[in-house]
Amino acid sequence: MYKFAHLADCHIGANRDPVLENLELTAFRNAFDLCIKEKVDFILITGDLFHANIPDMHAANEAVKKMKEAKDANIPIYVIYGSHDYSPNETSIIDILDSTGLIKKIVKGEILEDKLKLKVFTDPKTKAKLVGISARKTGLEKNYFEILDRESLEKEQGFKIFAFHSAISELKPDFLTQMESIPISLFPRGFNYYASGHIHQRVETTLPEYGRIVYPGTLFAGYSRDLEDSAKGTKRGIYIVSFGEKIEEIKFQEVLVCDFIYFEYDVSNKNSLQARKELFERLRKLEAKDKIAVVKIKGELSGGKISDISSSEMRELLMEMGAIDVSINRYGLTSKEYSPFKVMGEDIPTIEYRLLRENIGTVKVSIEELKADKGTKLAIDLLKILKQEQKLNETKKDYIERIQKNALDTLGLGDELK
Amino acid sequence: MMEMSLEVAGQIIAGKTAQILVREKAGGQIEIGDLLVAEEEDDYVILQAYELAYGSQVPQLVRELLAGMKLEGLGADLDFLEPQLRNYVIGQVKAVLRVIKGTELKIPKTLPRFFSTIRHANENDLRFLTKPEHPVYLGKVRSGSKILDVDVFVNGKDMLTHHVLIPATTGRGKSNLVKVMLWSILNKENFGILILDPHDEYFGRHAKGLKDNPDAKQNLLYYSTTPVPGANTLVINLSSIMPSHFQGIVEFTDAQLDAIKLYYNRFHERWIENVVRGTDVQGIAPRTLEVLQRKFDNVLGVYLDDEGNIQCRNRVFTDTAGLATTMEITKALENGKKVIVDTSRLLDEAELLIGSIIASGIFYRYQNYKSEGSLEEKPVVSVVIEEAPRVLGADVLAARGDNIYSTIAREGRKFKVGLIAITQLISMIPRTILANMNTKIILGNELATERKAVIDSAAQDLSEDDRTIASLDRGEAIVSSNFTKFAVPIQIPLFENYIQDSPKTKDKHKTVFVG
Amino acid sequence: MSIEIAKKVAEFLDERIQEQDIGSPYFGSPDYETLPFDPTNFKPITHAESDMRAAFIDGGNQEILGAPNFSVQINRIYFNIFKGQTRILPKSMPGKIEFYSATLSCFRHDEIFYDTGIFPVKDEFTNFIPNERHLSFSSVDRTVTVGTQRADIERVASIARRFAEWEFAKHVIENELEERDMIVHDGALQTGLTNEQIYTGRAFEAAMGKGVFFTGLSKTSALFTTTGLSLLGAVQKLADDFRVKGPWYLPIAKVVNVQHNAFIYVVKLHENADYVFRYEIHGDQAKKMTEKDLYEATWVLAENSKDITFPGYPYGLIDADRFARVGENEVEKYQTLLLSEISKLGKWKKISRHICSSDAHSILDMLKG
Repeated sequence: MYKFAHLADCHIGANRDPVLENLELTAFRNAFDLCIKEKVDFILITGDLFHANIPDMHAANEAVKKMKEAKDANIPIYVIYGSHDYSPNETSIIDILDSTGLIKKIVKGEILEDKLKLKVFTDPKTKAKLVGISARKTGLEKNYFEILDRESLEKEQGFKIFAFHSAISELKPDFLTQMESIPISLFPRGFNYYASGHIHQRVETTLPEYGRIVYPGTLFAGYSRDLEDSAKGTKRGIYIVSFGEKIEEIKFQEVLVCDFIYFEYDVSNKNSLQARKELFERLRKLEAKDKIAVVKIKGELSGGKISDISSSEMRELLMEMGAIDVSINRYGLTSKEYSPFKVMGEDIPTIEYRLLRENIGTVKVSIEELKADKGTKLAIDLLKILKQEQKLNETKKDYIERIQKNALDTLGLGDELK
Repeated sequence: MMEMSLEVAGQIIAGKTAQILVREKAGGQIEIGDLLVAEEEDDYVILQAYELAYGSQVPQLVRELLAGMKLEGLGADLDFLEPQLRNYVIGQVKAVLRVIKGTELKIPKTLPRFFSTIRHANENDLRFLTKPEHPVYLGKVRSGSKILDVDVFVNGKDMLTHHVLIPATTGRGKSNLVKVMLWSILNKENFGILILDPHDEYFGRHAKGLKDNPDAKQNLLYYSTTPVPGANTLVINLSSIMPSHFQGIVEFTDAQLDAIKLYYNRFHERWIENVVRGTDVQGIAPRTLEVLQRKFDNVLGVYLDDEGNIQCRNRVFTDTAGLATTMEITKALENGKKVIVDTSRLLDEAELLIGSIIASGIFYRYQNYKSEGSLEEKPVVSVVIEEAPRVLGADVLAARGDNIYSTIAREGRKFKVGLIAITQLISMIPRTILANMNTKIILGNELATERKAVIDSAAQDLSEDDRTIASLDRGEAIVSSNFTKFAVPIQIPLFENYIQDSPKTKDKHKTVFVG
Repeated sequence: MSIEIAKKVAEFLDERIQEQDIGSPYFGSPDYETLPFDPTNFKPITHAESDMRAAFIDGGNQEILGAPNFSVQINRIYFNIFKGQTRILPKSMPGKIEFYSATLSCFRHDEIFYDTGIFPVKDEFTNFIPNERHLSFSSVDRTVTVGTQRADIERVASIARRFAEWEFAKHVIENELEERDMIVHDGALQTGLTNEQIYTGRAFEAAMGKGVFFTGLSKTSALFTTTGLSLLGAVQKLADDFRVKGPWYLPIAKVVNVQHNAFIYVVKLHENADYVFRYEIHGDQAKKMTEKDLYEATWVLAENSKDITFPGYPYGLIDADRFARVGENEVEKYQTLLLSEISKLGKWKKISRHICSSDAHSILDMLKG
């Protein structure tokens, strides 16, 4: 019988705040300690190990130290790119670490006759077969799934793990509707274990004709919403999977690095002074010592400005009360006197559009094309262009020129500057 | 200018409005449904033939005798001399449109000049049929059985918000028509279409279908319990279902409704799950709970297995997946995509329920947009539903009250949400709903009562067209719409032929794999 | 009629119509040189190569308004041309002419005379209509009286149409036909009315001059045999007895006198025909015709007699009859028009006085219902 550990979305380097950074690394270390203690035969990290392809070096260094311990204990670490830590031309930290032999990228394949043929990697010790597709930005990996040669993978014998870093359409939570996802029909059937990441909720389920599908969830917090979920009771951790020819047992092991306290307050029907008074009264009653306090303020003030309710004051108070960190979510806070600031949907493109659209009015410009919907669209288009990556065989010089040209064209200034 | 065919087909000899009699010229070949033209100075009148009869200068009895002679072999060399003069065809035609100076169109209020000669209509006579904005393609103009090279488009925005009814009996080409229409707007993002597909015939799983459109990848979504690679699984989480979704589709007794209310208040979106699990709730008789469980088993196919897990017979409803499905479909429709839901393995009620969930979602969202003032930017959304009397039938509505489909039929226009209802039995749909369905694409129907119902509710005067409708062959139709100037006879192309003329998929760029 | 009486009448007819001896044609005048009935005289009408065209003429008339002292009529003459079964369009002549005639009584030379005024419907018809002065008849003119009574004005009024037919025929021959074509008049070539010969003379002259055969086909015939049988019936019997297969023609008689100059035949123009007809060719022409000519003429007629609605009767005459006939329903229209004009003149009272004197019949008819 063998064991492997499955974790994902560590997002090393995500948190710049020293307290949170420390907790993030602690979570990582604890997770690895767990793996070593369980004597797993390998560790599988399905994406977003790091928060960026070139992450904060301090955090990265700490993480690497821990990974070396596992390596020294003869536990190989298998990884795939996530949506944050990948690179189209293999210049991610993942690639550097892979070159050193500390970790191993298990995704390999080539496109033959318009079909993607993945190479199966066999773990030498357990003979488990690992194969997978890494993430790309904004769900571009879907193209790979569409041309995937499923039949040959389905024919593989032995214990098979499919590793990927994408949302599955059928398993997405409803608040992530807008997120790019892959329908299950594009996956090869009959694998023993589908190891994924990217969705920071923990999901463990099966779908007919497919084996176990597991999203371990984020190890600590990649986004502030993760803190809120943790504060509301979501457990964080890793999965330990025991297997022989089939899965024998799947165990979720919690990795707890701190306590949380969650507080939600609705300001509806109160003016800013009343709300502020009551809010602070209630905050004082919280048992926030040695915990991360997550505060959510929402509702519409009947009068006064939202800035009357100061985040920094709240933070100060809670820190005085002994909280180790404070996270304040006030996106849902509006005031009758100010235009609403609705956020429908939590994914980035929607938020981007709304934020730009709702705030473009505060930017003083005289040119029509930079105002209202036109301006918003222009901004989005420009953003899209500036987000573009360097292509595989493109030199840096060409890349810069291309981006510049596209950006100027979008602004309608292309010809003018020739 | 192209040489026009000006051959005379007949001459007006008598009659009255809506029953003008035309003597056919020998060889004039006037067919039922033929479009004919009577020219006047600056104008011309388009007429349509709807009845043909024999006319003869020889009295009936004499003709019978002569026929007898011929049949019995007498008078082998005898025949009618100058036959075309003495035995002929009298056509009954009605004036459908007056075209003034080639562009202005009017409903004819006067008779064409007595004794005018008439000829068959040609493409030039119909040049006023121009391509509108937001065009949806229906077919080519048909005159009798002849097809004219004039394309017929209807303004999709108008047509879809004001609902479409497609009455036809089986085998007349209903699905072919809908496929052609949808193909023509597949890449248009100002139309979001939801297709409830009970025969799995629109996607093209085993044959040509909408999947073959070059823009299908971006604009077409397919949900099925047995999805082909790339398609989505039709799996809906029980928490997506609200009690209101059952309205008008499944009947509950008062006791059951009370029970549902209690469960919903207590468990919110997990109400069905708890019913199925049999979670005790005070105030609900065990018998009522049992019946509810059975009902959900019948309608949704959900039940509790021996291990305490919720299972679903049709694999659609579950508590472990499908949380985003209905929302995803709704969003797709709002973005002008076409969504096919394969309901071929589902029973009626389940199919209607799924439609109800999605349609309600869209309808209420659009109501909100309207109150916010942002409805204008949104695409029109239309729901294709087959066997419409299941939800629009007078008896169903009387027994179960309104459902989301009938609500859309009555009020959807205000909110840019429409129905494309397909039915064999239009007579079962109440007048008040029929009156709201302003485009009827009438295919052949051999049932007299149905034809009458169609004629009674049509946008134009089709009172003389009973025979014409009865003689519509497969693929032939009449478009009677508030948005066409007259009831246009069309020939719908066979889908497989129609798509051959479309541009092929662009060559894909060479993909490079990065792992 | 009760069955018994009917039986008695039937037996009476059967008894008295004896066909054992069909006799021979009887004209009652020594001018007619008759041929006895001989089955060998039946000549088959066989196919002949021919370019001969046949023109058919017929006329019709109806009284619009009548009284003992006047009769207003609508008159119509029509012609067509066929080559075999194909209609030929006229070159220049109108296919049909129409005129009104008003015949009135007057007292002249101690006697009642009937004079007729002619009103062509179109000016161009003027050439085709008879001269009014030829249409003046004494009411006791033997050619128009019936019995010893004065001639009926309506009958005299219809003479205009008859003369117009001959006149029209002349013009058809002159303008539309060529040598060796044929013209077929509806009726015998016999004249019987005063002044009629003026018109027949002109028509025959035109025919002789152009080499067009002038012929006539009678729908009815009041000829007899020497045993009192109808001539046509006797000929049919003869043909039946000797199983003579149609079409055929049978020469009957020749006649040359002022009123009648013709060779007379009986023809059966189709094998399946139920009817046989009296056919005449103008005497002077018939004399000069060869047998081949006769075959050709009868063949042309037979070719045109293959319409299924009336086998054995030339389609040209069916057509001519249809277009020349004045229908009852038309009369009412003209009547109304005329009455309205009379009213406008303010003379209705005067006119109506005279109509009433002969109108009682129609009242009684109406009462009968």
